[in-house]
Amino acid sequence: MLLRTLSFRNISAIYILIALVAIYSLWVPDTFLTASVWRSMLDNSALVAIVAVGLVLPLAAGAFDLAVGAEVGLGAIVVAWLLTEQGLGPAQAVVLTLVAGAAVGAFTGILITVANIDSFIASLGMSSVVLAAIAWLSDSQQILNLGEGFQDFATGQLFGFTHPVWLALVVGLIVWYVLERTPVGRRIYATGGNLNAARLAGVRTSLILVGALAACGAIAGFAGALASSRLATGDPTIGPAYLLPAYAAAFLGSTQFRSGRYNVAGTLVAVFVLAVGVKGLQLGGAPVWIPDLFNGMALLLAVGMARTQRRARQARAARGVRRHEVKDE
Amino acid sequence: MNSNQLLRTRGLGKSFPGQRALIDVDLDLHSGEIVAVVGQNGSGKSTLVKALTGIHDPDPGSRIEVRSASGDWLHGAATRAEIHVIHQDLGLIPMLNTVENLNLARAVGSRGWLPTSPRRERQAAKSLIRRFSGDFDVNAPIEKLTPGERSIVAIARALSNWPRPDQVLLLDEPTAALHGDEAARLFEAITRVAEQGAGVIFISHRLDEVLDLAHRVVALRGGRVVADVPTSELNRGKLIELIAGKSLASLDTGNRNLGAPTLEARAIRGGEVDGVSLTVHAGEIVGVAGILGSGREHLCGLLFGSTPRSAGSVLVQGKNLPASPRRAVSRGVGFVPSDRHADGAIMTMPARENLTLPSLRQLRGRLGNLRANAERREATLWANRVELDPPDPERTLELFSGGNQQKVVLAKWLRNQPVVLLLDEPTQGVDVGAKAAIYQLVIDAAAAGSAVVVSSSDSAELAELCDRVVVLRGGRIAAEVQRNELSEARLVTESLEAEISHPTTQPAEDAEEAPYVH
Repeated sequence: MLLRTLSFRNISAIYILIALVAIYSLWVPDTFLTASVWRSMLDNSALVAIVAVGLVLPLAAGAFDLAVGAEVGLGAIVVAWLLTEQGLGPAQAVVLTLVAGAAVGAFTGILITVANIDSFIASLGMSSVVLAAIAWLSDSQQILNLGEGFQDFATGQLFGFTHPVWLALVVGLIVWYVLERTPVGRRIYATGGNLNAARLAGVRTSLILVGALAACGAIAGFAGALASSRLATGDPTIGPAYLLPAYAAAFLGSTQFRSGRYNVAGTLVAVFVLAVGVKGLQLGGAPVWIPDLFNGMALLLAVGMARTQRRARQARAARGVRRHEVKDE
Repeated sequence: MNSNQLLRTRGLGKSFPGQRALIDVDLDLHSGEIVAVVGQNGSGKSTLVKALTGIHDPDPGSRIEVRSASGDWLHGAATRAEIHVIHQDLGLIPMLNTVENLNLARAVGSRGWLPTSPRRERQAAKSLIRRFSGDFDVNAPIEKLTPGERSIVAIARALSNWPRPDQVLLLDEPTAALHGDEAARLFEAITRVAEQGAGVIFISHRLDEVLDLAHRVVALRGGRVVADVPTSELNRGKLIELIAGKSLASLDTGNRNLGAPTLEARAIRGGEVDGVSLTVHAGEIVGVAGILGSGREHLCGLLFGSTPRSAGSVLVQGKNLPASPRRAVSRGVGFVPSDRHADGAIMTMPARENLTLPSLRQLRGRLGNLRANAERREATLWANRVELDPPDPERTLELFSGGNQQKVVLAKWLRNQPVVLLLDEPTQGVDVGAKAAIYQLVIDAAAAGSAVVVSSSDSAELAELCDRVVVLRGGRIAAEVQRNELSEARLVTESLEAEISHPTTQPAEDAEEAPYVH
């Protein structure tokens, strides 16, 4: 049992992380091994971590949400717009931003379940609609002067770490609890595992899908609000950059711990592995396009790994079943 | 006769662990001959088709030989190119038209990248279709054609690239989806092919077409050829006897007292079901028999609410049950669908999670959490109770054998003492040992007070398990057979009766949706 838990197949990302740390420690020891580098790395990857954790929900329910990047962008602009144009306080603005993100997610969910549009296409279409909404709200201009108080929201520190790091942990813990420890989580995984079978077992699969996408939208909107707070600016262009890292982390995470299931712990570890990988290369003087290359490669590798793992499981299944199986009509 | 023999098998066998699906099958086929292969589900018909077409490797010592153009006997892999098969689903691409579907089978690359001539292709397709007395628009997509026209396209395609007329054509239940008059057109095409010198083997459930079309009938039972006789020596009674055989020893169904009427269907319609009323009492096991297209496959789904109802109502314990799987589950109705992989279970989840999915509420703790220990205890309890093998509820479901998967699917409903239990093909793809265990679980559930409906294409199963069986034909209940008169032969006769009395009558309504309504 312990051996299986510690096997490369189960926790490859942890071994990769150890290897990366070892390599960078030898390669660029005087920069890589400083506390400030690690602190900023955690702070930088916190927002991606929040988005990726949110993304685990629809993926577990069997839906792709390609609008997740646009939802981050929407959060960033909506919170800035509410603070400046509408003059709301930070707390109200953030809550309303969450509502906006959830609404976009829920609407995508309705497109999938009621209009019967494939999640891939529905969310791709929605992402374009949301990008248009962002441009309309912001006139494609940055929104400045969000106020001192709001900036503290993302830049303030607690026990040596910035707020986003703690918030990522809190969001991760909540989503983990829901997915792993509650009946709702079980129903989400069942819906993603076999929609028909789940429906015939009495699961309200449409509600689960809409709910998962709405929660993902709200969490992405929250990450967007944090991004605006950190920059003290509502930037209409930041959203799409979150899409690929979040998917890379969620897919890489699905190969960890839970043998093929999208899961929160794996996703958080994956975010961290990717961040360390990129950071070390940057410190070593790698060019600016390295993060894109690294994340893209990681996504492809993760999906490839997931496929291989699945095929290996099926091969084992075939071997195990052949003892009993009877084939006829 | 020997000079124009096209195909022969000697000692053909096929074993799967725990079962011999085909035993010592000797089959001969001559030029110009049409041979029907008949038998119940599980008799080995499909295995025979798969062995002949090379999908299954036959056991060592089996011989399958086909006569080549030069008159030599071919065997092994070389036979596969000589046997042309039309599967039940025809293998056509619905959105392409006839011309395109016909040309899919052509050897690619003969003309390379040179453009084709649409007019010439169209002409060729037309004349080909006409050879099988088909006359329809070859430019229409396949999905717009009637099932009969589609089967003509499939046959034309199978034959269009035959180098010579005397080859082997194998049809696997070609008329399963056809109306009477369409089947007649197909038979015309088949007869023509045979007249030109081909040898035809066709697998069928329908007695009248077997008697009308075939020159010879080969009956399989338990994987053996039990009869190989010219059609002229047969009549319907004899044919049924060949298919059904002697009835098996009965299972101990226990002493069950019937309770109150628990499940009532009132004139329900939907799918292929066209007005069925049925009452099932607590403690009763009611079987549903019927051939493909009789409505049998849709009845359980309609009762459960997963197949949309167009009319009628379902009452559980006297109260109306709306057509919604979730409501049905909350009212204590359990449904084991026929397709385990697509609808019955979540193969990527452990047995434990499949088991508890319909009623997670009972396991909810104070924090809205799932009580993991209670869940594990319960999973272990049920794994033991249904004799899961291996008895490990943490194992992913896809790693279990079909029979053990089905035990889990059944157990997830038994866990809550269902008021109504609907079983659609409960032992499909299940090995013999697990079959008996599943029967026992069903009988125990009935003894505990569940009203049970078993829909099955396996007459032996119904005869063994049920208190009474309703036989569906053309979407309606055509007969009801009580326990004391229940036998396999009786069910086969009742299911096929429509074929015998009026084989080609056909109402115009619902012709599109219900391919087999009388």
